[in-house]
Amino acid sequence: MSYVNAHQITRHFDISDPWIVRKIMGREKNVLTAVKAVSFAIPKGQTYALVGESGSGKSTIAQMVAGLLRPSSGTITINGHDFCDPHLSVQDRLAMRRWVQMVFQSPYASLNPRWKIRDILREPVVAFGLLEDRSAQDKRVVELLEQVGLSPKDGEKYPHEFSGGQRQRISIARAIASQPELIICDEPTSALDVSVQAQVLNLLKDLQRQFSLTYLFISHDLAVISTMANRIGVLQAGELVEEADASVLFTSPQHEYTKLLLDAAPNMKMEAPS
Amino acid sequence: MGTPVLEVNRLTVHLKKRKNIFKVIDDLSFEVYPGEILGLVGESGAGKSITGSAIIGLIEPPLFISSGEISLHSKIIDHHTQKLRGTEISMVFQDPLMSLNPLRRVGDQLVETIMTHIKMSKSDAIERAKQLLAEVGIDPARFNAYPHTFSGGMRQRVVIALALAPEPSLIIADEPTTALDVSVQAQILRLLKTLCSQRGTAIILITHDMGVIAQTADRVAVLYAGRLAEVGRTYKILHAPKHPYTKGLVAATPKIDASSVAQKLYQIPGSIPSLDQIPTGCAFHPRCAQAVAKCQQARPPLLSGEAACWLLDGNEGAI
Repeated sequence: MSYVNAHQITRHFDISDPWIVRKIMGREKNVLTAVKAVSFAIPKGQTYALVGESGSGKSTIAQMVAGLLRPSSGTITINGHDFCDPHLSVQDRLAMRRWVQMVFQSPYASLNPRWKIRDILREPVVAFGLLEDRSAQDKRVVELLEQVGLSPKDGEKYPHEFSGGQRQRISIARAIASQPELIICDEPTSALDVSVQAQVLNLLKDLQRQFSLTYLFISHDLAVISTMANRIGVLQAGELVEEADASVLFTSPQHEYTKLLLDAAPNMKMEAPS
Repeated sequence: MGTPVLEVNRLTVHLKKRKNIFKVIDDLSFEVYPGEILGLVGESGAGKSITGSAIIGLIEPPLFISSGEISLHSKIIDHHTQKLRGTEISMVFQDPLMSLNPLRRVGDQLVETIMTHIKMSKSDAIERAKQLLAEVGIDPARFNAYPHTFSGGMRQRVVIALALAPEPSLIIADEPTTALDVSVQAQILRLLKTLCSQRGTAIILITHDMGVIAQTADRVAVLYAGRLAEVGRTYKILHAPKHPYTKGLVAATPKIDASSVAQKLYQIPGSIPSLDQIPTGCAFHPRCAQAVAKCQQARPPLLSGEAACWLLDGNEGAI
């Protein structure tokens, strides 16, 4: 049994005009299907990547797996539990929240500018009741900062004092603060420079090995995905058009759309000048 | 290669902030030849965009050009950029939604640009605008459409049409595809490349993406902390870089074919220095594994016209 199981998930969004406008103008309801019958499974400790262009439904799937959006139909189970299960006990629901954490694209928008780093990192520890004692919490914050390669002093600073790469490290520290099992990384390095991107990707790899984390990795960049993912799903307009192991997908893509993406991806390979 | 379209000679730009003065661009020289695409690469804060603004004359306080000269067709253009801006040099920005006026029809914006820069009647200008739209791959029937009805890629095509309208000899493209999807990015880059080789227009392509550079540029200039680290033909820069920073950048870029999940990416230690903490000597020496004593003391010149690194100096031993 895989750690994450998504079975035939579909999500609709109602993008109709307001009711009164529809009545007066005689318009129909307008429903957008962002995700259509997508199924995938992620074994524990592995990385599953979703790739696709803007509007292909990558982030909608991420939000459904994180329990922030309900699928219109289909089920997602994480470690055997389903966020949408009405019989789920309060304790189990809380435990699921603790297991699943997210790292977002923009490290500028995802950290509260009025909070010190120490408070940002303490929040998940307090919220899930992991450590009651204040001094133990402080120790945990220092430990987290060191795990992501920042210095303990940095806890007293505010987010604006850090560069983009350092902020993304803080986001990662916050994500691992609750000792999660699954981290959803939604374009974690798209806002970063190449050299900083390499540092953050390596950090994610180290943490995965250290804590046997499972990643759902979302990106539009095939090169980044090829360094991170064990298995890859290609999304086009809400549908999973191809799914394969990383080694297979890059060497023998089957679907036309995957081939198109691979062709279009900026590649450093060049022919020698004649 | 003939005479360069544009020569930037020892350009230095300062930033004045309260009582402090920072050097943003430090003694930067390069040239661009007709019909060539010069890639300007570097990380955020390396001074790529400021170099672009300096060339087109959009430097405004608190930034100011403190020394150096920029010449177009061997004529120094420091004092009359206004007339050249848009006519001889035009610009394509990153976000196509911000560079188009949302309240005016695409065709009108094109006609206005054409009539500002070229003397012609309105009906001729409309004809010319339609022809330009067709050239960038947009149905001229959409002449009267508003920008919001276009997709991101189509908007960027319109912006390119606007840039080409006055028949400039140089286009500065500042991250023209960063806001676009990969498949659209490939189309836009191809379009830029073909249009410019047809017309002999030179392009300065500002980007942080080594992949984009490999696909498009003829030559590359690598910037680090406002200084030129290395310049040369694209193939050479990507496959046999000389400067340790360029080597690091190339190695740190994820590659589709060569990488595997078990492997770690190469990473350059440390981070780009902030403006008030630019190290003495070579700006890269604190992050450079091969730094020698000389690197801390003196700033390396562009040795053998390729890379600014003391290790190429011979006396210090080969890399």
